[in-house]
This record gives sequence, structure tokens and C-alpha cells, in this order.
Amino acid sequence: MIEGRYFPPNASRSTAAKLWGISGDLRLHVEGDSEPSRPKLVLLSDRLGSVPRKFTFEDGGVFEAPANADVDGLMGSHGSFFSRVSRLEASWRFAAVAVFLTFGLLFSLYRYGLPVAASAAAVVTPSGLVELMDSGSLETIDRVFFSPSKLDDSRKREVQAVFDSLALASGNNSPPLKLEFRDGGRLDANAFALPGGTIVITDQLLELSKSEDEYAGVLAHEIGHVQNRHQLQQIYRLLGISFMIGLVGGDSSQLIDQVVSQAATLQSLAYTREFERDADKRSVEIMLKAGRNPIAFIALLERITKDIPGAQKTSWLSSHPGNEDRKKSVTEIAKTLNWDGQ
Amino acid sequence: METLVANPKLDIRQHNFDFRGTASEYFRIWIVNLLLSIITIGIYTAWAKVRRLRYFYGNTFLDGHNFEYHGRPIQILIGRIIIIGIIVVINVLTQVNPLFGLLILPYLIALPWLINKAIGFNARMTSYRNVRFSFKGSYWGAFGVFVAMPIAAAMTAGLLGPVSSQLSSNYIGNRLKFGTAKFRTDAPLGALYGNWGVTIVFTLIVTAIAGSAGFGIGTVLSGFNTLAYTGTNGDIAEFLTAAPGISGIIGAYAALFLAFIFYSAGVRNLALNATTLEGGHALQSSISRLQYVWIAFSNFVLTLLTLSLMRPWAAIRSWRYLMANSAILAASSLDNFVDEAMPDGNVAAAEYLDIEGIDFGL
Repeated sequence: MIEGRYFPPNASRSTAAKLWGISGDLRLHVEGDSEPSRPKLVLLSDRLGSVPRKFTFEDGGVFEAPANADVDGLMGSHGSFFSRVSRLEASWRFAAVAVFLTFGLLFSLYRYGLPVAASAAAVVTPSGLVELMDSGSLETIDRVFFSPSKLDDSRKREVQAVFDSLALASGNNSPPLKLEFRDGGRLDANAFALPGGTIVITDQLLELSKSEDEYAGVLAHEIGHVQNRHQLQQIYRLLGISFMIGLVGGDSSQLIDQVVSQAATLQSLAYTREFERDADKRSVEIMLKAGRNPIAFIALLERITKDIPGAQKTSWLSSHPGNEDRKKSVTEIAKTLNWDGQ
Repeated sequence: METLVANPKLDIRQHNFDFRGTASEYFRIWIVNLLLSIITIGIYTAWAKVRRLRYFYGNTFLDGHNFEYHGRPIQILIGRIIIIGIIVVINVLTQVNPLFGLLILPYLIALPWLINKAIGFNARMTSYRNVRFSFKGSYWGAFGVFVAMPIAAAMTAGLLGPVSSQLSSNYIGNRLKFGTAKFRTDAPLGALYGNWGVTIVFTLIVTAIAGSAGFGIGTVLSGFNTLAYTGTNGDIAEFLTAAPGISGIIGAYAALFLAFIFYSAGVRNLALNATTLEGGHALQSSISRLQYVWIAFSNFVLTLLTLSLMRPWAAIRSWRYLMANSAILAASSLDNFVDEAMPDGNVAAAEYLDIEGIDFGL
């Protein structure tokens, strides 16, 4: 028997009451009533710390058990899910285990689970959607930054031929690669790849190139981004990070939210640098296969970025590795692939 | 049937809110919530939310009775799935065409409805003594208070901020009910401007202190760099050189956040002290702005330093402070309230505001 208090339907005035019986056949005796009633239970609040548990009956009346009452004993519900959870919640030993498990799981999810899941998701993304992303992004960038290329047709054919030879050397035609020429406008000397295989190169970048190999290296780098699906992986990794933040941040203050989102931005830059190194590596492979100089494009990058402070060094705030690091790592990769230095 | 008539002969009794939760009990609930949420890749978050809110509401007592949270996990899970689905679709569309990201207009049109339904849901899921709260919004009222006024306040560089605070406090307060009893809020504009003025002084002082402290720490770090650091690690060297500027900015940024907390604490006092509940009851809030800022700031630092292990303690600490400084001046017994049937609001709207971190405290 539990001694508690009873609220009649829709009213805030409570009366002392007793509840007994078994689950499914309860007896409620409200003080002042002559007879106990047999109310039909519709909802019993789950066990949680020392929060008083409430029995809600069919007519809207509520019986409130005091904090220390053995409700599970009365209802025979010791084995119910939340009674078990609540016993875990009461145990310091389990809490200690849970702390280790939680940190371990979060770390491995972030360190290993996320990249694997992101690259799997990138592979299964429908190609139709990716093509839509290409045309949509190009349209937007055209409207905001670019104007049509001012190169003459013979120059375009020349660059296109280099591009085709690189595409062939890359030995993989999924997704299909496509080259676009644009006047860079405010973006100046630049090249970038869209996830669906569209690679854009600006007139200004071609003008700055002193040899075919220089811009070919840049094109091969962009082909690397496309074939390793870096843009899609980036999107999925960032989605995964915000999901993880949502997972653990259910009860966090606004200040903490701010710090975490700033940290996520830094993390996305780290991802970008990782992908840039990866694309550099792929560029070296493609260039060697096409019989070209794999480190020539570094000279072009140095020319482009010579006026930008900080572009020579890698830092935790940069989107690309610094030129010095790039030159070193690109040369090393080339050497391991038996490049003779010519 | 009993009628509600205030009896002037009865003396007014002050009931303080009393929070009985403890950090050690909540820590274990929190870590179990977190672990189960991760293991179930997020599905348990809906149950976790209900347990967290039930813990806080259920341990909050007033005149010997506790509050209760009635949200159902399945319902909340469905709300979350809907909202996450919408967010993912919008993100995909933005990737397909970045111009979709600029579609702020439909969002602003939907916002008043979302806020009304969210406040409605949260009020409806809260009860005290078997009587539920409810909230009845109006679209254009919410549009004026939550869309037009904040824009006006931003365009006047904050000059209209107190007016915006007054209108939103009144909007929420005058549309909230406890059972059949209506709340009434008439936040005083003059005092809100006073709070605003004090906040500006507070901001200036704290910005000066935090900004220069940040700059000072950074300078020491970069001095350390030039004097002692002879390594070849570019990252560390660069970080040290940039340190004075960066930590100065972080300091100033933190100061603005503290100022916001300071201001909101003042608004809470003024709004609740100007709120009455049908039957001659009045609400009371007497939090100290400086103390509340200190609690928020030290909570933040400790949470960060302990990789969030102190978060449960911090959450309990600030809730306990808020409750300890809130009271109701009851003109008569609180036994005479009557519940009535009202619509439940919309769980997806509530989950949207929850996910976005938008919060309207009761």
C-alpha cells in the first residue's frame, strides 16, 4: 500500500489518499470517501531519481506517490526498462564506466567513424544529384564572380588537349571530367573542381603559367579532388560533426555552443588541408603517368600567392597547406614514385 | 462548483520556489543519457530530453508541490526527425544552388508560427498540481514582437532594445494561462531602459578588462616566443606571434556574451515582477545580475576545463540559483485552480527552436 495524495480530474486541490492492489487491479481510497474506488490506470510516470511518481487514471485524476514509495514493488515493474535505467543512474560505479565508454566512443566515432562514413556516403551519392550540384554552383559563381573567357580558340584547344591527356592518364572516368574556361574577375588566377567532375580554370591562371606542366599540375590536382570525392566527403563530414554536436550538446549553455561551433570551423579547415595534401599526391601520380614534371605547379602557386602574407607557411588557420610544405611533400611523393627529377 | 474570488482579508503568503535536485544525482542521470544517446546514434536523445526536463521540473517545488514535464519521447523523436529532415533538405538544396541559402524570407514568414506553436507546446507539457499551463499565440502579434521589433532594434543600434524586450515579455506573459487562470504582464519601459543603461556601463567595463586581459596574456605568450622559443615548429611560432590580437578579440567577444546575460537577467526580474496571476497572485524575481553573470561565466570555464564533466553540476547550480530567487506572492490558497482543455501546440516547432538553441524561459 502506498500513502500519497490524490488530485481529482482537472483540479489543483489534493487530498490524502491510499493506493493498493496489483497492477491492473488497483484500489484507491481517497480520505473522506466512504468506499475505495477501482480506477483504471492509463499512465504511470517512469522512475527517475527521487522525483515523485504519478499515476494518471482514465478520468484524469492523478495519484502522487511520495519520493520514497516502492512503486515498482506495487506494480511488479522492477524489470521494466526505466527501472533498470534508473538503477544504472543510481550507481557511481556504472557512472565511472559510462564516462570512459562515452569519451572512448565519442573519440573513435569522430576519429575513425566519421571519415569512413563520409567517404562511403560520398560513393553512394546519386550522380544525378551531384550533377545538379555542379550546374547550380557554376551558375551561381558565374553570376557572382566570373565572366566568359577571353581566350582565343586555339589556346583553348591546346589546354583542352593537355586536360584530356591528364584525364586519360588518371585512368578513371567516373565521374566524367569536363573542363570550363572563365575570366576569373575578382577570383583572379584560380582553378577549382566541382563534385560532379566540372573543373574550372581561369584565364588569369593560364596567363601566369610559364610552361604547360605548370598549369597541368594544377589541373591534375583538381582531377584528384574530383576522383577522391573530396567535396562530397567534406559536406558529409561537416554534417556528421553537427550531428555529433547535437548528440552530446542537448543540455549545453549558449556560451559552450559558441565555443564548440568555432572549434568545428577550425576542424573543417583541418579537413580541407587533409584533402589538399591528398589531391597533391594524386596530382603527382597523374603527372608522372602522363610523363610530365610533377612539381612544376608549385612554382606557379608561388607566383600566384607571392603577395599573400602567410601563404608560404601552413597554419591552423589556413585552408591549404603552405607552399613550402607543399613543395617538400610533393617532391617526396614524386621521389617515392621513382621520379628522376627532370 | 467553487468560484475564484480573492478575499482581501486573507493575508498574502510568500511561497519560494525550492529546487531539490542535486548535482551528484543529476551527474549520473546525465552520463547515462549521454552514453545511451551515443550507442543508439541519437535515437535516445528524445528519451534523454524527457528525463532531463522531468528531473529539473520534478525537483522544483512550490508550496509543497512539484512541477511535472509531460512531453512524450516518441512524440519528441518524431518532431526531431521532421526537423532534421527539413534541415538536411535545405542543406542539399543549398549545395545544389547556393542561392537557396538566401531564402530568408520564407523563414521569417514561418518564424512567428513556429515560435507560437513551440511556446504552446512547452507550456502545455508543463503542469503543477495536476493543472497544465497553456499559451495562445497570434500570428501578427508574434510577427511584430519576434520579427519586426528585433529588426528595428538592430537597425537603431540597440536603442529600441528595451522596447523590444517589453513587447516580447508582455506578449508571452499576457497569453499564458495556468488552467483557466490568466497571467498578466506589464513590463515597465522606464525600468527596462534603466537596465539597458546599466548594461552599457557593465559592457564597457568588462570589455576593457577582458579585452586588455586577453591582450596582456597574449603579449606575455608572444614575449615568451621571441625570448625563448627557438624551435622550428611553424604552427606554435605563428600562434605565439598572433596571440595578443587573437586573445584580445576572444576577450572582447566573451565580454559581449556576458553583457547579454547581464541584460537578460535584468529583463527577467522586471518582467516577472510585473506579472500577476488571476486570483490576486503575483510573481517575484530577485536575481542579482552580477551574481548571475558570475555563475554563467564560472560555469562556462569549469565546463570547458573539465571537458564538460562539470556540465551537470553547472546546470544544477544555475537552475537552483534562479529558483531560489523566484517566488509567488499568493493572495489565497493555490488549491483552487481548474484545468481546461487546450490545443497542444506543435512538437516539431518546439524541437526546431530547441535544436537552434532559441529559448523563452517561463
